[in-house]
Amino acid sequence: MTMTYIDKTTRPGGTLRRRMARLTTDLWLPAAVVVLTLAVASVRPQILDAGNIAAMLKSFSVMAVMVLGLTWVIAAGKIDVSFMQVAALANMICAWSLAQGWGWGAAIGAALAAGLVVGVVNGLLVSAMRLPALIVTISTAGICASIAAALGKGTVIRIEAPGPLAPLLDPVLGGAVPPVVVPVLLIAALAWVVQERLAMGRYIYAMAQNEAAVRSVGVPVVGLGVLLFALSGVSAAAAGVLLAEHLASGQPMIGGPYLINGLTVVLLGGMMVRVGKPNILGTLTATLFIGVLFSGTALLGLPDYQRQIIQGALLLIGLAVATLAARHHGTGGHRDGA
Amino acid sequence: MSRLNDHFRGAARVLGFVALVLGVGAVFALIEPRFLSHASLSGIARHMAANGLAALGLTFVVIVRKFDLSIAGIAAFAAMSMGALIAAGLPLWAAIMGGLALGAVLGAISGIAISYFELPDIVTTIAVGSICGGLAFLYTGGRSIFQNFFQSGITDLNDARLLGLGVSLWILLAVYAAAWFVMSRTRTGMAFYATGENPVAAHFSGIATRRFVALAYVLCALCTVLAVLLILAESGNAETNKGANLMMPAYAGVFLGAAVMGGTSVVATFGGILLITMLLDGFALMGVPYYYSDGVVSLILLGGVIAFSDSLREWITGLGLLRPRAARKSENRA
Repeated sequence: MTMTYIDKTTRPGGTLRRRMARLTTDLWLPAAVVVLTLAVASVRPQILDAGNIAAMLKSFSVMAVMVLGLTWVIAAGKIDVSFMQVAALANMICAWSLAQGWGWGAAIGAALAAGLVVGVVNGLLVSAMRLPALIVTISTAGICASIAAALGKGTVIRIEAPGPLAPLLDPVLGGAVPPVVVPVLLIAALAWVVQERLAMGRYIYAMAQNEAAVRSVGVPVVGLGVLLFALSGVSAAAAGVLLAEHLASGQPMIGGPYLINGLTVVLLGGMMVRVGKPNILGTLTATLFIGVLFSGTALLGLPDYQRQIIQGALLLIGLAVATLAARHHGTGGHRDGA
Repeated sequence: MSRLNDHFRGAARVLGFVALVLGVGAVFALIEPRFLSHASLSGIARHMAANGLAALGLTFVVIVRKFDLSIAGIAAFAAMSMGALIAAGLPLWAAIMGGLALGAVLGAISGIAISYFELPDIVTTIAVGSICGGLAFLYTGGRSIFQNFFQSGITDLNDARLLGLGVSLWILLAVYAAAWFVMSRTRTGMAFYATGENPVAAHFSGIATRRFVALAYVLCALCTVLAVLLILAESGNAETNKGANLMMPAYAGVFLGAAVMGGTSVVATFGGILLITMLLDGFALMGVPYYYSDGVVSLILLGGVIAFSDSLREWITGLGLLRPRAARKSENRA
């Protein structure tokens, strides 16, 4: 009861103070991106070189595509820890199919189909059979990783000929902008509209609060759950395809680090715009932030493990702030898994 | 009457599990006679000791209905810390105490964050695990630590024998016996179960539920430290990837055991981890490439969880195949 009451009063159009608070939650993360970029640039101006910006935007595109689906899975109160291994599997299927002489069209199709299959299986097991999401996706992650490694017998598969996506990764505009960011941003914009303007978006956030209630008002919860996991699988697979083109190879071990990176951007992004609720715009901004952080720490010569510590601490702080903020607003925060 | 029935059902499940273990063992022995050799069996006992300790730790966390994904990270950090203490010339017991103290602190951080500050368990433990994974590199920048290892006597934990069984297996049995006693014969154990099954009811029954959730994470970290200690003892050095292979078997052991035995418990985990270790070692003996092992464990875990899930049982019941059982249930109630 208190929830709806507070929700109404914090809607836009309140007093100046409320509008300022609203502005702060909307803009603190973009501001952090700018501040971090300027801070690094003051010591290492190379971060703003055209080549470095192009590299950052490329990894931004891959990362954003990979976690677009994951954002909604977590927003709906579930968890998916298989996305990074789905990307690795798609990456290897792409390279393996090319090595079999299938051609790029079939290779990309096979990779995306694999992502769809894993996503639908995850969705059916979690939503229809009501198994714990963590156990299901931890298992499918292990299976995907095994198949990915088996395809290359444990090693990397090289890709000889560049494919149809190569021009997308070739930077234009003074060598600073790879064209791939355009379709990525268009897809993200579409997802934002679905999330903000369509009923489906409302159902996603409602599911996190009370799945039984959403079910009893007639929303096909099982179908929606399967759809969300399927989207997560396909978007992770698309990132795997992009990686195949970008790295000109299939790398079975590529998934590992993306788990913590992916969760960090989704949860960090969940502290912007809709506090305590993962959302597309927040995910994109957080992806940009993590990209600048990676590039900055690399330019400053910090070893990988120090960045890992910084990132883990960032994730913990983010979680704590989001949880406390959600409790303060009385919306109960988001829930994970099971 | 129903109590007697429960006993029968419990005994039937245990017997079923024993039959499953014997069956799997028989299949491996038929395909690969070396499976029953002394070297192979003592290998299974050693691997089971490490896997079993990690799985036991996870059992406490799963009983309070939470998850812990920091096992690999805590294992790596504890491994390097104990390695650094041994290399610095400290006696073995001091190094182990140091490792356990570190584990207790790390477990308490996750536990307090999750229970008292109500942070989400999965992501919190992933973050803590990631930080620990990074901290493991602090001592040497990632190089292996092996100085003083042989003089310290740590390898005795792996090599020494007592009454014909390896010391590591005795450690496993002792820890499991203590855990079984506490979890199924004391009020403390009941409090863990009550916290997991209905935290609100447990709270109003005077159980400090938050304390038990935090305690479960501390116990999980302590067990993880013991598990990685046995891995160090087997390999004779400390590396940052020690313990990377502890997590999947632990999850598979806990959930497979719970699926077959009808609930999470110390005994169920023991059975589950025995089965998982036999399968892993058996496949390794048959020359199955290493990269299949995670997939096989995952497949078994998924298969077990599906086969024993409520929804599958309901579905089969719906087909009318299990009518007699439903009838029996209503008889009992009458």
